[in-house]
Amino acid sequence: MTSAPFPNRPRVDALDKVLGATKYAADYALPNLLYAMQVPATIAKGRVTALSIDAAMRVAGVVKVLTAGDFPPPPAAQQGAPPPPATITRDIAYRGQPVALVVAETLEAAIQGAEAIRPTYAADATFTATIDGKGAVRQPVQPTVGGNATTAMVQAVTRHSAEYVSPAQHHNPMEMLSTTAVWEGGVLTVYEGTQGSNAVKGALMRNLRLTSEQVVVKSPQVGGGFGQKGGAQRHTALVARAAMLLGRPVKLVVPRGQIFHNASFRPKNRHRIEIGADAAGKMIAVRYDADQQQSREGQFPPNYHETPPMMYGIPDYHGTAANIRIDTQAPGYMRAPTPHPSSFAFDSAVDELAVKLGVDPVAFRLRHRATRDPIDDKPFSSCFLHECLSEGARRFGWKGRPLAPGAMVRPDGTQVGWGVGCGAYPANVHPNIATLRVGADGTTRFAAAGHEMGQGIRSTIEQILVRDLAIDPARLEIAIGDTSVAPQHVTAGSWGTASVVPAAEQAAAKLKAAIAELLAGRSPGGNLHRQLAAVRRPFVQVEVTTVGPGQGDKDVARLRQGGMAVSGPEYPAFTSFSYIAHFVEVHVEPHTRRIRVPRVVSIADCGRVVSPRTAESQVRGGVVWGISACLREATEVDPRFGGWLNNDLADYVVAVNADIGEIDVGFIDRPDMQFNSLGAKGLGEVAMTGCAAAIANAVFHATGTRLREMPFRIEDLL
Amino acid sequence: MDGGERSGDDSSTITRRTALGGTAGLAAAVLIDAGAAVSAAPAPPPGATLLIKPIVNGRVTPVTIDPRTSLLDLLRELLGLTGAKKGCDHGQCGACTVHIDGRRVASCLTLAAKTDGRAVTTIEGLADGDGLHPMQQAFIDHDALQCGYCTPGQIMAAVACIREGKATSRASIREAMSGNICRCGAYVGIVDAIADVAGKGRRV
Amino acid sequence: MRPFTYVRPDSAQAAIEAFAAAGPGARYIAGGTSLYDLMKLDIERPEHLIDVTAIRGLDGIETDGDRLRFEALAPMSAVAINRVVLRDYPVLAESLAKAASQQLRNMATVGGNLLQRTRCLYFRNGAGGVSAGMTYPCNKREPGSGCAAIGGLDRGQAVLGQSRSCTAVSPGDWPVALVALDAYVEILGRQGTRSLPVADLYRLPGGTPHLEFALTPGEIITAIVVPKAAAGRQSTYHKIRDRESYAFALASAAVALDMAGDTVRQARIALGGVATRPWRAVAAEAQLAGKQLTRETAIIAGRAALTGAKAGDHNGFKIELAARTVADALMIAAQRKPA
Repeated sequence: MTSAPFPNRPRVDALDKVLGATKYAADYALPNLLYAMQVPATIAKGRVTALSIDAAMRVAGVVKVLTAGDFPPPPAAQQGAPPPPATITRDIAYRGQPVALVVAETLEAAIQGAEAIRPTYAADATFTATIDGKGAVRQPVQPTVGGNATTAMVQAVTRHSAEYVSPAQHHNPMEMLSTTAVWEGGVLTVYEGTQGSNAVKGALMRNLRLTSEQVVVKSPQVGGGFGQKGGAQRHTALVARAAMLLGRPVKLVVPRGQIFHNASFRPKNRHRIEIGADAAGKMIAVRYDADQQQSREGQFPPNYHETPPMMYGIPDYHGTAANIRIDTQAPGYMRAPTPHPSSFAFDSAVDELAVKLGVDPVAFRLRHRATRDPIDDKPFSSCFLHECLSEGARRFGWKGRPLAPGAMVRPDGTQVGWGVGCGAYPANVHPNIATLRVGADGTTRFAAAGHEMGQGIRSTIEQILVRDLAIDPARLEIAIGDTSVAPQHVTAGSWGTASVVPAAEQAAAKLKAAIAELLAGRSPGGNLHRQLAAVRRPFVQVEVTTVGPGQGDKDVARLRQGGMAVSGPEYPAFTSFSYIAHFVEVHVEPHTRRIRVPRVVSIADCGRVVSPRTAESQVRGGVVWGISACLREATEVDPRFGGWLNNDLADYVVAVNADIGEIDVGFIDRPDMQFNSLGAKGLGEVAMTGCAAAIANAVFHATGTRLREMPFRIEDLL
Repeated sequence: MDGGERSGDDSSTITRRTALGGTAGLAAAVLIDAGAAVSAAPAPPPGATLLIKPIVNGRVTPVTIDPRTSLLDLLRELLGLTGAKKGCDHGQCGACTVHIDGRRVASCLTLAAKTDGRAVTTIEGLADGDGLHPMQQAFIDHDALQCGYCTPGQIMAAVACIREGKATSRASIREAMSGNICRCGAYVGIVDAIADVAGKGRRV
Repeated sequence: MRPFTYVRPDSAQAAIEAFAAAGPGARYIAGGTSLYDLMKLDIERPEHLIDVTAIRGLDGIETDGDRLRFEALAPMSAVAINRVVLRDYPVLAESLAKAASQQLRNMATVGGNLLQRTRCLYFRNGAGGVSAGMTYPCNKREPGSGCAAIGGLDRGQAVLGQSRSCTAVSPGDWPVALVALDAYVEILGRQGTRSLPVADLYRLPGGTPHLEFALTPGEIITAIVVPKAAAGRQSTYHKIRDRESYAFALASAAVALDMAGDTVRQARIALGGVATRPWRAVAAEAQLAGKQLTRETAIIAGRAALTGAKAGDHNGFKIELAARTVADALMIAAQRKPA
């Protein structure tokens, strides 16, 4: 099998987006719509002892207040599935937890009604809001081991060890969480921007005791997800319940401050790393202890050893990890969830070791080629990290970079530094069930599992279909993110493209075969639509089921049930990762010490690039995330109160346009034909990994100061 | 029970009958076309006491509002113009950017009451006729968007950026566009798109 | 948000009468970028809003004669691009251009901006509205309730002018530039007109941080007047933030220099982002008078500007940052062409 490069075509949904015509969840106009607003708990832990709805009900326009008594008790535990989010409970586990839902004829009345509710609480003052607080409970998980790092470390001639810290951060997609619920004819239809429409559906079924036939979740366009919209949200069942009790559609747009408190976030995490090198200056051993902030019941795993062992072919690796349980809402997956902070820590440590050895950091990395996964002892299906490094160094103009820090100073005293940082991300995949229908009327419809949150998944599907089929692209409908069109899998973890494009390719092949059979040797000419019209066939439809390497019927069954059915990055015969190398230039002001990033070059190995234009944008976006995470973002907790203090977009500082300079993106674009028929791996998350390390390494090169805790703020270099 | 599902717990059982109990006489919930032109005043919602007549995308649009209503909520919830987006509701993100009398504003922090008699232009009214505004085309050409949620606000701000004479350099564009957060990180494409339109010297 | 009545009178006199007629709970609203925001946070709870933006003839910009006069309703964005302001008083233009975003500068007025309330996180997030479920003690919001910022996450808090009751920073940029230039405001009330130095518009928090402005209920700021000064051309507003744009100051400096060659005849220096009100740095000005301006004298003046500064737990860096910001501002201003 081969896979030729793809042409650079416009994003398939760009036209609607520039017209403002794209419908996001809160954009659907429904008759008789009611508006909802949640009432957030104002204590960090404890219990609601009394809640009067009288004041709210007196507000003109308020029609109902839902409280704990309006919800079924929590559903029975289901084996293998995490419990759905709680609804409204009297027990308060974190600040901002909803204690009531006010429903009104207008948004203004719903807000006023919500503000009128002031419950009485029995506050539990013993809560623990930070990981170093009394009451934090440390729980180690299974270590990650390859070879024997303890023995190998003894052999090391040069060692570097240090601790690195990454703060709590919130995703803040521009589209706020929202739900519009319609209960009609015994069927609940929910419009919600989510990366996991089936996960939302499953949670609704369990929380509200509904059957699969009774729930449809529609998420055709997501206004950014970044992992925060990967699972069921707590508010969804509240809104759905209100719609069912009132028999009218209900809409809730969750205020951003409530999102900070109820949705997931990247937990604070810490990394103690020791790397040893032999006499030849090659890294031979790693000891790495990581831990992270965790909620009391949270399940987000501290997978900080996912990528560091896959980078440089270091044979002996010993990694430990632990959760530190405190009183907060559950943390979760945020873009490059663990690989971003671990690559910041690990690739900073690698850089520090190179400095210690007096070796150019690119040359140092090029001494180490990863060919095997040392943890599972399998070959990589492909790894072009060296090619990323070489191409990036060439484009950036790395040659001639002075080795010593602080050597590049402009006449005004601005310090200039160049840094490199590398990252990796697992290549995962899930099964897909796709239907493809081509009509004599000129229409084509492809339906499968997938969610569009800006990464360009529709554009990748379109690329395959217009490459393989003579169809009218203007009348191609790509139906994804809707539980009524196909079983939906969570779209996250950079597995979207690799899980859907093979399905599109196989469906196209099957459809071509079906039409060839139909034509039985005739060649009526024209595109497929005309050919169907010529033989008076209104349409042809095919269905295909695809699986990833090593997957089978069990995985397909899990997909059909709406569960997680992801494999990777370890497969029966190989291990698969995507790779990237970032080259960053920083400027540090002489006196007030602002750090600026005027240019970045990033070269990615994501296998075959299916949609060059959207892929390039995705990498640029990942770099913006890297800059923003490294230099700007942190969500802060006052341990006396719990909750998140800077819970809006003025005080949770994300990068604005003026923070971003030029970003040059390149791809190796070599297909990984072991991984799938197109050779496409994942891209969205690897784009961000290693970028923060490149910035840290550049800041060191500019100033001689090593920063090991993100975000790097002005006070860190004063 | 036509189709109602029973769980083991009676108190939580939902059936079509019970859940539909309150719906008798209500019209079926059908999606209506949110983009339909507004000619007659929409029915005033409860609490609406203030009649205003903004000129929205060139049409006088009488509407009775609750004085608390923001321009953004007026556009989205009463007039069905959902192009402008709510990203923060506090003037911190720019997703709600529209023009009032030709100047860009944050519609979430604008009392709708203030727009009485004033010209409000939204993304839906930006282009002349059915074609694309040059800035819309440039956003497509430079892939100056990803999820698209901030895009209407970005484009309204981008047009204003050129009209204000601020598209003179990439640095100046970046500064002038910093009131519009793009969390997907399409900033480079946005600057490219604006520089492209400005470079062609066309009136926007 | 609580319901309110809304009127839009077309003259200042009518607005004042409407305010008086409405009684307690009345508030003027101009651009609304601060007040409406705080209403959404359930911090401001007006019962009657008197929208002053329809008042005719109150948005002029006069630059003739011996003063600049900006009527209160002139949008911040309009003053920021006024040709005379740009040429002769870059400190004013820059203080406006570096505030908020163009969208907000188009909405906000130069008069209303003087009355912007603090961005202290404990003040803004703590009213228990629907946004986040926070209820922090705050003497500014609820007199006598205490100050959560003291002993808390105080990275953004003031190092100058704070009291045991309040450490909230005065958030403005424009007022800092005006204070440096000895501007005053014209005020209209039921008793007639009066004028007040901008510096005196702001009260120190002391034991009454809820009393922020030296205005009596019902008074309207009608204009801002800046006496013309030779120092205007060699001036700048230098603002250091947590990001390059669209953020409040960690530290800022408004500087205007009257120079004789390399020697400072008179320097005007005011600080933003570090104090509980726009902070005129008199000691720094005295330090520089008659001296040659060099990097060394500039940083000495910068340190003098922070005389008496007192850090909390996390904001000590602001003292050094502000000193360097003043020094950088002095050097930038000195490079500009004199009149």
